[in-house]
Amino acid sequence: MYDILFWFFSIAMLVCGLLVIANRNPVASALFLVLLFVFLAGLFVLLEAFFIAAIQVLVYAGAIMVLFLFVIMLLDIKASERRKFRALGVVGGIAVAVAFVWELVIILTRPLKPLATGGDELSGGLEQVVKPLFANYMLPFEVTALLLLVAMIGVVLLSKRELK
Amino acid sequence: MTPVPYFDVLKGLGAEVILTLTALVALTLDLASVRRAEMSVRSRTIGTTAVVGLLASTLPLWQQLNGPRMVLLGGTLAMDDLIIFFKLVIVALAVITVLISMDFDVGRHVGEYYAVLLFGAVGMMLLISAEELITIFVALELTSVSLYILTAFHKGELRSQEAAVKYFMFGAISSAFLLFGLSYVFGVTGATGLQAIQDAVKNTGGLAMSPLLATGLLFTIVGFGFKVAVVPFHLWAPDAYEGAPTPVTAYIATGSKVASFFILLKVLFIGFAGLQGSAFWGNFASGWTMLLAVTATLSMILGNCAAIVQHNVKRLLAYSSIAQAGYIFIGLVAATKMGANSVLFYIIVYALANLGAFGVVAALSSRAGGDEMQNFDGMARRAPFLSLLMLIFVLSLAGIPPLGGFFGKFYLFASAVQRDAQHFGLLWLVILGIVMSAVSLYYYLILLKHIYVIDGSDQSPIITPTYLNVALGLVALAVVALGVYPKPILELLNNFSYSVIAGLVR
Amino acid sequence: MTSAITLNDYLIVSGLLFALGIAGVIIRRNALVIYMALEMNLNAANLALIAFSKFNKLVEGQILVFFVIAIAAAEVAVGLAIIVALYRRKQTISVDQLTTMRL
Repeated sequence: MYDILFWFFSIAMLVCGLLVIANRNPVASALFLVLLFVFLAGLFVLLEAFFIAAIQVLVYAGAIMVLFLFVIMLLDIKASERRKFRALGVVGGIAVAVAFVWELVIILTRPLKPLATGGDELSGGLEQVVKPLFANYMLPFEVTALLLLVAMIGVVLLSKRELK
Repeated sequence: MTPVPYFDVLKGLGAEVILTLTALVALTLDLASVRRAEMSVRSRTIGTTAVVGLLASTLPLWQQLNGPRMVLLGGTLAMDDLIIFFKLVIVALAVITVLISMDFDVGRHVGEYYAVLLFGAVGMMLLISAEELITIFVALELTSVSLYILTAFHKGELRSQEAAVKYFMFGAISSAFLLFGLSYVFGVTGATGLQAIQDAVKNTGGLAMSPLLATGLLFTIVGFGFKVAVVPFHLWAPDAYEGAPTPVTAYIATGSKVASFFILLKVLFIGFAGLQGSAFWGNFASGWTMLLAVTATLSMILGNCAAIVQHNVKRLLAYSSIAQAGYIFIGLVAATKMGANSVLFYIIVYALANLGAFGVVAALSSRAGGDEMQNFDGMARRAPFLSLLMLIFVLSLAGIPPLGGFFGKFYLFASAVQRDAQHFGLLWLVILGIVMSAVSLYYYLILLKHIYVIDGSDQSPIITPTYLNVALGLVALAVVALGVYPKPILELLNNFSYSVIAGLVR
Repeated sequence: MTSAITLNDYLIVSGLLFALGIAGVIIRRNALVIYMALEMNLNAANLALIAFSKFNKLVEGQILVFFVIAIAAAEVAVGLAIIVALYRRKQTISVDQLTTMRL
């Protein structure tokens, strides 16, 4: 069952990824990206990272993609996207991707042994992930808050229309 | 579970806390009291607030100086003299940037401008004190996001918007590569602290045994390569430098460069201490020194050659700083204590000279009507003092004695020669660096020719505010002093840098 | 729970997703779609991190992913605002037409 789910989520996710970059219409690309995030969350569940899977759906599929869709609607760019892809870009892109995959095959054909860290099995629950945020990882947590404030200031400023 | 030393952390973060509070004060002050005032008054008021806050933030730093080395929270916050010294450097660069900005038209959103600038400084300072991958990533993002916003600040100008899109896109690519690399490093070593990574790397049996680690190393270097703009990851730099408001360009080219180079040095020298391989001629071995040697070669050649054909001063300085990043990489390739010292010394000299050059460009271009080369024709008569300063900065970048740039470059090259001194293994890189420095002299002299030799159509004198003249004059003084009498700083760095190179000394 | 799925399988899936993302960045000319492809890259890294976290039994991977998701939200907001600001000035978001500065 586990194996079947893994292959289902993985293949579905990769197909969605292909459709994101192959689709002419940005709205369709965005919707396939939402699907990709959901399948990825499925993989996270299989890896027993339940909290991360939840915020993946909430933040990525929920908040971030809604932003993308809003901007697509706002700009109404359907017309400008109707042009063909450039041949050079397509060939180059595929070449780079194939080279990368080839490298990956060489690296990953040999089975990896997990590190003997001697730790317990992760529960992936809220407590395990969140507790370090108030201890060892307190500082990056606070800095993330600062980052969100900066982003907020920036977004208000950049998307505001200038009054003449 | 050991109790978290919250109080120590707060004490260690004194400067960052003060800067954050100043940024918030700048925001509210602009909103609440001076919004209706004239633009110049607003800019002066908020700018002065920012300068006062920056100066106040040095107080906790002075107090921490000469303290013991402390590593808190598993490396998310490290404190030693080298780190504190570089935090002071960042503060100094930010102060000058604010002073340059006060004289520059940054648009109507003055409070936001200085607030985001200060948040950027907080990001850089946190980056400098981080010795742990998660904190490094978060601090790097805080710095980058602040700089993206600042780049887009000229809302009326198309150049600024295009520059922001390009800077942002390449920044996002670099983050993706960096994160992917870090994920492999974490996976192979099982650690996120740099020191812990160093220990774990020794047990993996090196790159040949662990291709996964090699991939992680490669991607990490590519990610940082984008941040410090070396060839072939430099494509964003010329456009971003040209399009951004000039004080912001100065900030990107100096503050963020210093922080990025510092953290790159730490990641390589501490985290990947066992993986340097070899870049000796005829004796190459895979490792990060070889990767850096290749990018250094490309950067020096392409940066210097492309700079020759530029017509825009900011763009010329952009290509020149790509070449300068190549020189700095030579010191990293040496991978010795002397190499580390020379890199640290050179990034200070480079940052001062570049900041000064962009500061002069900012002050003059807004009054001369543009930042093309022709706009600077006959500038020596119109603004003799700033022209003199420009001469000092540009000659320092070119590496002419007795300026700081000459000594810094000499020290970089010397550290590379001294490494493997019996076989002159790195001599090829040094020779290339010297040849390319000679090439660079050509385009620096073209710029000076426009300022000093060619007569412009407009002869009216340019008056710049006194505080700006004094600030840039002090920067020039520092550049000269670092060349004539570098000993104090060198001794300082020599005493401080033990924490960085501990992993390399065997 | 015993299963035939190993760490390698997860890393291969993550690597393929990363390759797709890079291909998308190079092939596409629309700034929005390029940015979507970049999000795929970030998610590929996230998948690798979570897989390492699970198989090495270390929670740090999950914590880094937590931060990445939070940062991505902030970065997306800023990035889209920059793209919107460009569109207001230029009426296009094709990266082929960002040609004001040359040489």
